[in-house]
Amino acid sequence: MILPARGAAVVFAAFALAVPVSGQKRPSGRDLVARSHEVFYSAASDMLARVEMQLISADGRTRDRELTMLRKDMGDGLQRYYMYFHRPADVRGTAFLVWAHPQADDERWVYMPALDLVRGIAARDSRASFVGSDFNYEDISGRDVDADEHTVLGEESVADRPAWKVESRPRGDAGYDRKIIWIDKVTALPLREEYYGVRNELYRVFTADEIRDVDSESGTVPTVVRRTMTNVKSGHRTEVTFIDIAYDAGLTDEVFTEDALRRPPRRWIR
Amino acid sequence: MNKLTRIAVRRPRAVLGVMLAVTAALGYQFRHIVIDTDPENMLETDQPDRVFYDAVKADFAIRDLLVVGVVDEEGIFRPDALARIAALTDRILEIPGVRIEDVVSLRTTDDIARGARGVEIGPLLGEIPTDQASATAMLDRVLENPLLAEKLGSRDGTATAIYVPIESKDQSYQIGQQIQLLADEELAPEQSVHLAGLPVAEDTFGHEMFREMGVTAPLAGLVIFVLLWLLFGRVSLVVPTMVVAMLSIVWAMGTMIGLGFPVHIMSSMIPVFLMPIAVLDSVHLLSEFHDRYPETDDPELTIAASMRELYRPMLFTSLTTAVGFASLTLAPIPPVQVFGVFVAIGVLAAWILTITVIPASIMLVGRKRLRGLGEATAGRPPRWTVALSLLGERAFRRGPWIVASTVVLVVVAVAGVSRIVVNDNPVRWFKEGHPLRIADRVMNASFGGTYMAYLVVEADAPEALKAPEAMAYLDRLDQALEDDERVGRVTSIADVIRRGHQVLSDDGDGEGMPTTREAVGQYLFLIQTAGDPDELDNLIDYDARRANLWVQMRSGDNRDMQAVTDVAEAFAEVDEPPEGFTLRWSGLTYINKVWQELMVIGMLRAVLGSFLVVLVLMSFMFRSVRLGLVSMIPMSLAILVAYGVVGLVGKEYDMPIAVCSSLTLGLGIDFAIHFLQRFRDALAATGTLEAAVETLFGLPARAIARNALVVALGFLPLATSGLGPYVTVGVFFALLMLVSALATLVVLPALVGTAGRWMFSEYFQPA
Repeated sequence: MILPARGAAVVFAAFALAVPVSGQKRPSGRDLVARSHEVFYSAASDMLARVEMQLISADGRTRDRELTMLRKDMGDGLQRYYMYFHRPADVRGTAFLVWAHPQADDERWVYMPALDLVRGIAARDSRASFVGSDFNYEDISGRDVDADEHTVLGEESVADRPAWKVESRPRGDAGYDRKIIWIDKVTALPLREEYYGVRNELYRVFTADEIRDVDSESGTVPTVVRRTMTNVKSGHRTEVTFIDIAYDAGLTDEVFTEDALRRPPRRWIR
Repeated sequence: MNKLTRIAVRRPRAVLGVMLAVTAALGYQFRHIVIDTDPENMLETDQPDRVFYDAVKADFAIRDLLVVGVVDEEGIFRPDALARIAALTDRILEIPGVRIEDVVSLRTTDDIARGARGVEIGPLLGEIPTDQASATAMLDRVLENPLLAEKLGSRDGTATAIYVPIESKDQSYQIGQQIQLLADEELAPEQSVHLAGLPVAEDTFGHEMFREMGVTAPLAGLVIFVLLWLLFGRVSLVVPTMVVAMLSIVWAMGTMIGLGFPVHIMSSMIPVFLMPIAVLDSVHLLSEFHDRYPETDDPELTIAASMRELYRPMLFTSLTTAVGFASLTLAPIPPVQVFGVFVAIGVLAAWILTITVIPASIMLVGRKRLRGLGEATAGRPPRWTVALSLLGERAFRRGPWIVASTVVLVVVAVAGVSRIVVNDNPVRWFKEGHPLRIADRVMNASFGGTYMAYLVVEADAPEALKAPEAMAYLDRLDQALEDDERVGRVTSIADVIRRGHQVLSDDGDGEGMPTTREAVGQYLFLIQTAGDPDELDNLIDYDARRANLWVQMRSGDNRDMQAVTDVAEAFAEVDEPPEGFTLRWSGLTYINKVWQELMVIGMLRAVLGSFLVVLVLMSFMFRSVRLGLVSMIPMSLAILVAYGVVGLVGKEYDMPIAVCSSLTLGLGIDFAIHFLQRFRDALAATGTLEAAVETLFGLPARAIARNALVVALGFLPLATSGLGPYVTVGVFFALLMLVSALATLVVLPALVGTAGRWMFSEYFQPA
């Protein structure tokens, strides 16, 4: 049993009691997805990770990126992210700040050290690529649970892990027409996601390649430490590896401000 | 009589049966037919420019594009019109074979601009504007962004374009048709849709060419049939001629398809080329048979007598024609080589079929039904045959005058030839008024050009392009090309950096380029991170070693492509690229230019090569180098005059004209062979030049005149075709036939009159 602490965890705990993950009774699709969102997108109150990102083209050419990612949950589903790039060398020091609002447009800023310039970026939608990878912002900060209609299709294992197979269909406008998620019965983490777009063609696949328990103040947090998003159409994919993850690190609100973009918080970012 | 003809005469049914069986077997091969309209296949697979283009396409994720233009005189930037554009774009994305992620349109392409809420990056038509003010603002944003102006919207706001990349070029026509249907559903009646770009033109040509093969070629056949019927008066004699032509085509095409060669634009013309050639031999034989028949009133004897006269000239004309076409293998263009080889095979097939099927058919027609054949001619010669003999006699007597006039004609023709402009453009293979021509005109007037060429700048080390000097050089190169009137617009990574600098930096008015490597790197990074992973892949490669300049040209003329490459070369000489940088062209428009150059040189080589082979053949046939040379005169005249006319009327030397040159050698010499061979026989029989001329202007001259008439008129239906190459071939055939017939019937007797004793010295022992 996972025991996340504080904040949204209370809500999560309520779900956890109401819906036994591996019980006999079939849980509702919405409940499964809501729980999955909690453990996947907002485990613990904050998170700090060194992230390696590799962008791989269909013919095998690669672009490597390395960044430090800070996340803090502000309650009511609000989240703040700070991304500081270490590599490639010529962009070292470039940093992004994102205030994610589940039901409204995100607020984003970028800092470009070569010009010593902070610029707001008007986010048109959360489907935009996340720092040029195959992931988009929605894949990082999550999507409003009620923006989709969820139906449990059944039970199906992914790499020997028993999982619920859930179909999500957007109620309004979305980047996909249909999404199938395999939710791990043990951790509630998404093991695999398939996105279907126009012509009902599969165009994006997410896979959780490695799940590890990460210790935190409030207990162990099962975490997807390696993940891949593949654009089936173009053959392009992005592999993300989390190294040095810490939960409940006590990130302060000052980290997530425009000022901090110019003067990165050295306590967290080295 | 040769063995084959003897068998055909003795056992006509068996011979016809065998020929039809062979035809059926080869015709059965048509089920394997594969169509290839890809102009890239004009180059060998290992041709360096093609290899490089393949690499460029792979490295920069480039696809062939259809350019869809929507024009609305009321203006595109109105809420209603934009809603329709959005709906049309969304439906185009649903067409299988369309590369969704690379579609460039108002609906799908990111704009980068500084807005009220900071830097705005995203498609302009992500949401449909609800009021006129925001629609107008959208046009302003298109025009204000140098990356989008004249790409997504015309200056006057009455047109927008959707660039639709497709998985493979041979889907162009079919996807174009689907887009047309969607446009009919989604657009208002006053809005018109235009399809442009080389891939759709080339693929459409492939489709229309089959319609032409099915309509124009049979129409030509019909005209030839009627003409032959008028000349010979017996359907029973005309049908075998047509059968010979059809069977030769089936044999040549069947062999080609059976051996696994695709039917290319080039080889689709094989039937059109083979028909007159096949008809030619048959008409000589029929003409002879028809005019001689009253002498014996016996089919077998008449066939024997005709074959005695004609066997050698027919064999040699077939050989020279085959050599002419086979010489096309000297051009390093695979489809041209295939075309040449299989026309040559068809020519030899036509020869075999002529000396078997025609005699066998005549035997089957039988003496009863042949009664009275040729008697009208024998009894009271028709006026034209009288005129013909008069022509020969006059030409013979006024030899020096005619020779002198011919020299003048040659001078004029040479002047014409010197004015020939080498140029081609597949879009102009369609006649004026064709939807593709209209689209070409409309789109290139409103937008930065629908013809794509790529200029690849390559450095010798990774990350080299991020140097500010390198970026500034790209920027200057981009500008130099854009300043040329033939170039609509150039899109390069330098444009993107410039735009990024303009929108993001605080430097004065935001003009100019960043000055540090880090700034360049960070602009690139920001734009890459704002878009999809493949956002800038079309413009710069992964390790920033190579950049690709998209040069959009308003014209697909090879001549213009050449001029633009010259502009780049001249620029690089004055403003030298940074150390270790190289520039190289690619793209479909450029590839077309490359193969045309190869074609021109290849054709020249082919014509010269086969000229020599034919000269040797002729010298051998006449056992006299002197007569060999003389026999080349009418053909050389025909070539000069035909190409002189091409130059004088300003017709450009394009692919079809180039191919026709092979025909000149093959067909141009035929009449001269018949003339000289039979003149010599006549001279041996009569002993004087005058008497020989008189004999010659009986039967042989009539056969030549009939042939010239049948082929020239028979192929005029091609001139009505909607496809330029067919028109060219039709007109060229006619011109060639007329000139070589005239040269044979006028210039050769004039030469005989002037220098006959020298030409045929062996018949005139010194007294």
